[in-house]
Amino acid sequence: MSNSVISVISRFLEEYTSTTPNKLKVVDAYLLYILLTGALQFLYCLLVGTFPFNSFLSGFISCVGSFILAVCLRIQINPQNKGDFLSISPERAFADFLFAHTVLHLVVMNFIG
Amino acid sequence: KIPPGLFGCFLLCLTLAGIQALTPAHHLCLADVARLQNFLSQQFTDLESAYYSVVGLTKLGAAVSDHNQVCQFLKSQLDPTSVDSVFFAAETSQAISGCEIPVSNETRDILLAAVSEDSTMTQIHHAVSALSSLGLPVASQEVVGALTARINKEDNVMAITSALQTAARLSQQAELGGILEEIEDLTARLDDLGGIYLQFEEGLEATAMFLTAAYSLSDHVDMEPPLKEDQVIQLVNSIFSKKSWDSLSEAFSVASAAAALSNNRFHVPVIVSAQGPATVETVSVFDSQLLVTDVMSQPLASANVLVESAYAVASKSIILSQASFTLNDGVFELNFMSNQPASGYYQFTIAVTGDSRLVANHVELKVKVSTEVAVTNMDLSVVDKDQSIGTKTTRVDYPSKAKSSFTADSHQNFAMSFQLVDVNTGVELTPHQTFVRLHNQKTGQEVVFVAEPDSKNLYKFELDTAERKSEFDSISGTYSLYLIVGDATLENPILWNVADVVLKFMDEEAPATIQPKTLYVPKPEIQHLFREPEKKPPTVVSNTFTALVLSPFLLLLILWFKLGANISNFSFSPSTILFHVGHAAMLGLMYVYWTHLNMFQTLKYLAIIGGVTFLAGNRMLAQKAVKRIAAEQSSRLAKYRSLR
Repeated sequence: MSNSVISVISRFLEEYTSTTPNKLKVVDAYLLYILLTGALQFLYCLLVGTFPFNSFLSGFISCVGSFILAVCLRIQINPQNKGDFLSISPERAFADFLFAHTVLHLVVMNFIG
Repeated sequence: KIPPGLFGCFLLCLTLAGIQALTPAHHLCLADVARLQNFLSQQFTDLESAYYSVVGLTKLGAAVSDHNQVCQFLKSQLDPTSVDSVFFAAETSQAISGCEIPVSNETRDILLAAVSEDSTMTQIHHAVSALSSLGLPVASQEVVGALTARINKEDNVMAITSALQTAARLSQQAELGGILEEIEDLTARLDDLGGIYLQFEEGLEATAMFLTAAYSLSDHVDMEPPLKEDQVIQLVNSIFSKKSWDSLSEAFSVASAAAALSNNRFHVPVIVSAQGPATVETVSVFDSQLLVTDVMSQPLASANVLVESAYAVASKSIILSQASFTLNDGVFELNFMSNQPASGYYQFTIAVTGDSRLVANHVELKVKVSTEVAVTNMDLSVVDKDQSIGTKTTRVDYPSKAKSSFTADSHQNFAMSFQLVDVNTGVELTPHQTFVRLHNQKTGQEVVFVAEPDSKNLYKFELDTAERKSEFDSISGTYSLYLIVGDATLENPILWNVADVVLKFMDEEAPATIQPKTLYVPKPEIQHLFREPEKKPPTVVSNTFTALVLSPFLLLLILWFKLGANISNFSFSPSTILFHVGHAAMLGLMYVYWTHLNMFQTLKYLAIIGGVTFLAGNRMLAQKAVKRIAAEQSSRLAKYRSLR
């Protein structure tokens, strides 16, 4: 049982490293970074308390928002999805990503107090 | 004759009190009539305004200046082919003397042709009125037929009012019964506002013209209109409550209604109001002076004004009954003060008779008789509680102050007794407000007591210094003693500094701590309390978590390095540099927003930086796209070649 799980995982990793384009791996690394940052903030909130609640909220919202935007970027630049986003070039997707980030962080900064 | 000085000043007020029966709340006072006349006297520009102005003034009984000029104006403006024009000219010419409007046969035919079912109600009314004013024959029965047919088609207040006006111009032999019934139907359509006003929702003009038409038709056929007395009064209220008129036609309608209400065969509302200054100086002249007028403030000289009964409000005792007012120069007078009534309020029930047409002729009046009060037998004394020493009283006369001051300690009572009498009649009075005020000269503290009369109307006030010490906060010292007397029916309220009293309280254990009550000092300012910040976690914990939260960034860098992010692809074109600098600037701005700026400033700067960054980014990415597409094409080409 555990053997099969390990084999599945190793197979998955193998496939991932071999077939995923390097560009997407960069984005995936970014996603992992955001995920961990958000998780650590949440951990702090659970262990210590929510005291500057707005600060916690803005930090966490920043993480969630960034994650979602990065996922969107990843979907749009994935060569496998090319057929769905014919009108959106990877450069355009990146520009959208940056613009959405600017708006998101305007809100986050407003909230941070 | 009674010398005025002996009786002093009697004050008498009359107030109308419409409690029991409904009495008119509004009418045209003399000033209103003058204003209405003034409004109607404006320069007229066409036949219609000439009609409203001249006929309206005539209804008010005012003179129209220069009949000849008006006549010339009518003749010059007349359009013999228009029914309206002929109507206005004919009606106006009737109101002035010596003016005849020439009528051709053609005009007559046009007027006669207008009397048919196919004309509007206004046309029929104008045509019939013009024919009748010009002295031309009208076939009354035909007109009645046309009116009846039109009433069925135009079922609105103004049209039916026109029908009533038209019917009043017809022969009395015609069958006017059907049209007469319309008065009752329209009355049922009146809206009642709070039981005081009765009016059509179409407005003041409709209401006033209806009233005028109803009375003119009722007079014409000599049948009492189906209006109840209360309804007439409510109509009076709604028509005359408006004191500024929007248009000539509205002013005309009010003037017409005033004329109709003052002079018809059935209902004449009576307005009773108090005359002139409400204060009357001497008794010999007095008196209740009443103005009894119609709605236009014209005195009803033929009326008899009778006091049915008058009673004192307090005691309900009747002081007058069946006394009649005498008419003196347009004013009704009653010598009420010769009965020497006691001061107070009196309720008069007044009836105006002498004419069966009078409406609202029972009026309730409230009369106030005021007088002057005097303080007599003011005795002051200090009494020992064990009564072993005989009391020594001092008499003080108003308005002087006792020469020596009185001293009372805790074993003594301070006593005061006095009487209040009516200066004019010598009767004892018990005014509503009788207070004794003690005022500490040093601290400014004051204590007020109520002085109560006994069964003989003798006021007695005793101050038990031991018992009352709490009210004085046990502060010994010199107090000024004041007597305060007041009442609505008193002309001379009294504030009299009678004497100085030294009060000594026994236990002054802590007089310093008892501060005089100062009610009027500012209260301490209220400070807003912000929410207390919660306890912060230890620095170690926060620092650890700061490091922890930042650590994934390190991971990111490592991962990217491993993946081999190609920085080598970075080209140093100006747009690229500008784009990255712009991005950094935006991040910086976000930080500055957090620490210094407000949203609006931030948005302003963001727009500038964002704009530059956008342009630069657009250019950079476009270049990249071009490169990428070129690369793709070349690789495709290479693939294609290799396949060949």
